Amino acid sequence: MSQHRTAFGVVSFTLCVALVGFSTQNASRATQDAARARDTTKFVVHGDHIRPGGIALRDSTAMRNPFEGDKNAIELGSKLFISYNCVDCHGADGSGAMGPALMDGRWHFGGSAAEVYESIAQGRPDGMPAWGGLLDKNSIWRLVSYVRSLEKGKDVATENFTGKTVERTGH
Amino acid sequence: MITALGFRLSAFAAIGSVLLAACGKQTSATADSAGSVAQVRGASIAFPRSGSADEWPMPGGDYSNSRYSELAQITPANATRLRAAWTFSTGVLRGHEGQPLVVDKTMYLVTPYPNVSYAIDLTTEGQPLKWKFRPENAQAAQGLACCDVVNRGASLANGALFYNLLDGHTVAVDAATGVQRWKTQMGDLQRGETITMAPIVAKGKVLVGSSGGEMGVRGWIAALDAASGKQLWRAYNLGPDKDVKAGTRFKPFYSQDRGTDIAMTSWPGESWKIGGGAAWGWFSYDPDLNLVFYGTSNPGPWNVAHRTGDNKWSASILARDVDTGELVWAFQVTPHDMWDYDAVNENILVNLPFDGAPRKVMVHFDRNGFAYTIDRATGQVLLAKPYVPMNWSTGVDLATGRPNVNPEKRTNAAPKVKNICPSLEGGKNQQPAAFSPATGWFYVPTNNLCMDWESREVSYIAGTPYIGASAPEMGGPGGYKGEFIAWDATTGRKAWGIKEPYPVWGGALATAGGVVFYGTLDGWFKAVDAINGKVLWKFKVGSGVVGNPVTYKGPDGKQYVAVYSGIGGDMGLLIAGDVAANLPYDVRERGSTLPELAKWTSWGGMLFVFSLDEK
Repeated sequence: MSQHRTAFGVVSFTLCVALVGFSTQNASRATQDAARARDTTKFVVHGDHIRPGGIALRDSTAMRNPFEGDKNAIELGSKLFISYNCVDCHGADGSGAMGPALMDGRWHFGGSAAEVYESIAQGRPDGMPAWGGLLDKNSIWRLVSYVRSLEKGKDVATENFTGKTVERTGH
Repeated sequence: MITALGFRLSAFAAIGSVLLAACGKQTSATADSAGSVAQVRGASIAFPRSGSADEWPMPGGDYSNSRYSELAQITPANATRLRAAWTFSTGVLRGHEGQPLVVDKTMYLVTPYPNVSYAIDLTTEGQPLKWKFRPENAQAAQGLACCDVVNRGASLANGALFYNLLDGHTVAVDAATGVQRWKTQMGDLQRGETITMAPIVAKGKVLVGSSGGEMGVRGWIAALDAASGKQLWRAYNLGPDKDVKAGTRFKPFYSQDRGTDIAMTSWPGESWKIGGGAAWGWFSYDPDLNLVFYGTSNPGPWNVAHRTGDNKWSASILARDVDTGELVWAFQVTPHDMWDYDAVNENILVNLPFDGAPRKVMVHFDRNGFAYTIDRATGQVLLAKPYVPMNWSTGVDLATGRPNVNPEKRTNAAPKVKNICPSLEGGKNQQPAAFSPATGWFYVPTNNLCMDWESREVSYIAGTPYIGASAPEMGGPGGYKGEFIAWDATTGRKAWGIKEPYPVWGGALATAGGVVFYGTLDGWFKAVDAINGKVLWKFKVGSGVVGNPVTYKGPDGKQYVAVYSGIGGDMGLLIAGDVAANLPYDVRERGSTLPELAKWTSWGGMLFVFSLDEK
């Protein structure tokens, strides 16, 4: 890993040398870009992120649910789940309806608190609305608490038609 | 030995009949047992297709929606020789409702979202593609479709293939080249409007209607110029007369359907603006009366506390002038619907002997469980009889056309109302029936399901569901969940029925050869004797059938029967247990309705084509 980093450093150095000839305007933009790259609030660390060149998102910070472990937040989230019509898309108890189930441990866009927050706030391209405009942060976090409480386990077993449930082994 | 076995089977059948009769009493909906209903002589398709019987140019085969073909090579005598001739994968694994078209030795297919279309050359061995068209189609539409991302097919006219995209557009694709001629935005995704229905083309106009009855839309139909894609008129199903196009020509048959702005005043406040009443089903066209007929969806939300009144024109059948969109008559099938009984099912235009005289009628098998025979010039109900087990109503009053509602089965009768039949899937849903002039009977794929109901509070948020109830379903009385029946629409009696373990969610095809075809949710495609309902042949296709068979004559002179295999749609996707195992749908609450279905089929997306083998 350290070898990779060294190699990357060389590439960066070369790039910086190449940039020297650019105008100050471009240089200041590069500074801004660098600052932006350190803007930790913009990133959510996904467990299955591919790291090109083996380099992790160094400056990112996992978003934390301020209501983690707060049972009251789950209760309030369950009410929001109904009053914002989440229930008619995702089904009672997150059993799935128009939209995907939320209880089966199969998350399209990740099941960590930060990932679920991102899905609710920003929406998802297959039709999940972006709720960030309508709901405040604390409401979204309470929904996160509720939604994550629905999960019945990772990859809930499918039927095998012998009367027993089995561990899901993949699709 | 054979005799003894035969006797035992008869004995079983007799016991079964007694049991069924007992069940019939408790549901009040009974049909006559097989064998006692005579064929209907002198019945005819109102507007048989004008083109060649060798083709299948529009969704229902003709403007009457008869789904009948004059082709007669396949008969009860030779149907056992049916074999798979060729197959084609559509590349999409969602519910394949709808049907292929065949025109000019070419077959045309439209897939569920992303609504790819294919033109297949039938003249060359191996059935090569002439073209494949991939439309731009907003990804977000998938999350706004209530009941799977289905498409019910295309129409072919003026050298173009016309169909709707889930994201609310209508497209015209050149039939020869696969090049898009035009594309027009008709629906607004931000308000939950998608389009799933199959358009028809009449007098150079493409007639389309909206989906989204569960999303708080305000339903409409529109006519587009087939040549340019320009909208010629749009008529709303709810709202003031001006928007509904109810003017001097509007003459509803029943007095309760008359009144200025009745499609607005039969709603509280401005609730008509988000009241549903979409038009996602099958359209019919009467060239003599110059009328297009269609049904409208449920009112929204399901929770009736939000909408006192009749809620017109939700759950209604409407007749409009094709040229202007003017409303000519309307009949509300289920006033103030509280069971999600959309009236979008097909209206089959036929001429039937009625009380000794020929009568120009339409026959409509409604979600609410009644089969209606209606005068298509006036909207008068001539006959309405239950065609499936039901308990929500004791019958339709022919003086008013209104159903008499069993007060115990009102969904607001108690916080939890138990055992309402039929369920919200209806006695029949989108799966279209067929009509044969040879027998005069209708061939109807039906459901036998009941439901419990619990309403809850709901508020309208644009672009999200507007429902406010849950309604878990279970099998209906009699121990079967679907039945394929033959129906006499002059008397309202069942001639025969084939009981199925699952709701029959695929459509029917009737042919002059005396063979009727349909497919099942558990993946059987069946050929049946039109006269006695005997299953002549069946074939297990790759995935459950929710599409509609068609028949055509190939360039080699042989009769072919084609059908989609690909489980999905509301019944297939939402209730199919593990069928959608690769989607996160298999742990849903309603999976218990069809718990064993996943044992018999899995998701797919294939066209199957059958013909008689050479022997």
